[in-house]
Amino acid sequence: MSAEDILVKTKLGEYLVKRGLLYTETDEWIKVQDDTITLGITDYAQKKLKYVVNVELPEPGTSVNAGEPIVTLESVKSVADAYSPCSGEVLEVNEKLYDTPDLINKDPYGAGWLVKIKPTEPIDESRFLSPEAYAEKIRAKEE
Amino acid sequence: MLKTVRETPLLETLRKYGASVGEFAGWITAMDYGNPLEEHVATRNSVTVFDVSHMGRYLIRGDNLFEFFQKLVSKDLSKFKEGRMSGPVLLLNENAHIIDDVMLYYLSDTEWLAVVNAPNIEKDRAWMLRWAEKWGYNIAIKDITLSTTLIAIQGPRAPEVLEKLGVKEAESLSILEFLRRPSVLGEEAILVSKSGWTGEEVRSHGYEIMTTVEHGKRIFEAAVKAGARPAGLIARDSLRLEMGYPLIGVDIGSDVNPIEARYWMALSLKKRGFLGEEALRKIYREGVSRFRVAFKLKKGVRRIPRHGNDVLIDGEVVGYVTSGAYSPVLGRSIGMGYIKATHSYIGFKVAIDIRGKTYEAKILDFPLI
Repeated sequence: MSAEDILVKTKLGEYLVKRGLLYTETDEWIKVQDDTITLGITDYAQKKLKYVVNVELPEPGTSVNAGEPIVTLESVKSVADAYSPCSGEVLEVNEKLYDTPDLINKDPYGAGWLVKIKPTEPIDESRFLSPEAYAEKIRAKEE
Repeated sequence: MLKTVRETPLLETLRKYGASVGEFAGWITAMDYGNPLEEHVATRNSVTVFDVSHMGRYLIRGDNLFEFFQKLVSKDLSKFKEGRMSGPVLLLNENAHIIDDVMLYYLSDTEWLAVVNAPNIEKDRAWMLRWAEKWGYNIAIKDITLSTTLIAIQGPRAPEVLEKLGVKEAESLSILEFLRRPSVLGEEAILVSKSGWTGEEVRSHGYEIMTTVEHGKRIFEAAVKAGARPAGLIARDSLRLEMGYPLIGVDIGSDVNPIEARYWMALSLKKRGFLGEEALRKIYREGVSRFRVAFKLKKGVRRIPRHGNDVLIDGEVVGYVTSGAYSPVLGRSIGMGYIKATHSYIGFKVAIDIRGKTYEAKILDFPLI
């Protein structure tokens, strides 16, 4: 955690929201770098999901549509999907998750990333939540 | 309906050890402490400590408790005596449908204790009082759930931990026996029993301590200091699944009868004169259409069977899954569910449809380990 990151504390837990990323309503984070988007799930999402034992990733080269389920995450407790933030093509998937799916729990913003996507058109960043807005959303959900 | 969410009285203590909290049956409690699979393995190979204070606890007082409960529950209590727990017994309605499975503790002729499932704390109490009134028994039930704690210390090294907590005679307890008012850390607890619902209790490695809230906090911390790894409800769930213990509201409930559920340890089919007996005997005599069984998937299948998944033979639905988990002991996914009585091919293969894909599974009897 760097000094600028936000730690949301509620009566149910503490959730890290990192600066420099954009967030979705469905608890994913995205990082926009040149013409590549990296997708992962947030610390809040992994803490709700609990310990991840199985991750089903798309094949690189797959075409995806915005809002479609793209990755299935299975924890000891339940199953959840991560949704594609944009239309485009899957460039790369995090193959380390096949053997060590709990990287999602240990480092959701780093080693636990899910996929990299090449968007069809440039991302409209205003469609995503800022770190502050996402932190506020978590607070509102837990109160 | 307004939903009440309560916190286990030990919540702050559990957080000190890194509890990942969540809600179970209206209670906020520890789901895990970072790695539920390791917590599961530690319970089988070493020792763990669970807070199970979300289970309901009543003190029941009355003059004819034995007679009353003998009429109310499914299991024969005639050998039940002071200092013993009943094992799971069923509260059945007149149609032999399951209201709850509860644990009774014989404290004295006029005072018993009941531990009930978290979702049914209010319902069971009302059920007991309703029948007591109907049958003319004068009983009083005091709900002590929020003023007490229940801590389970489970695993082969549990006796060591009990010794370090200063509990004398723990090793001499037989399964489902308890010490009344034992000294734990030099202070009197309500009871210490050989029990626990992880399967370790039947291997003589499981103890539960019931006591006040403040004392419970100290005991939890001392147990960790003595080497017990904190473990949460997710590990408790996979542990009970390996043993084939059903969970109320998930594997058994008002839509299932105890014969279908094959809940033999909670039943005495020779017993006479209890609520639901006639209906139960009729079911027993006439037979059932489904049975509760265990499923074991192949190694390497990453998906876990989940509540509601179909069980198939050649594409025909012959059953359904009620619970599933990953068993770190078996290194594969396991499950529990119901299969048509005509198709209860124990030891043989079926397929389970998990999110649109089918996986081979073997039908087995319990326990799986």
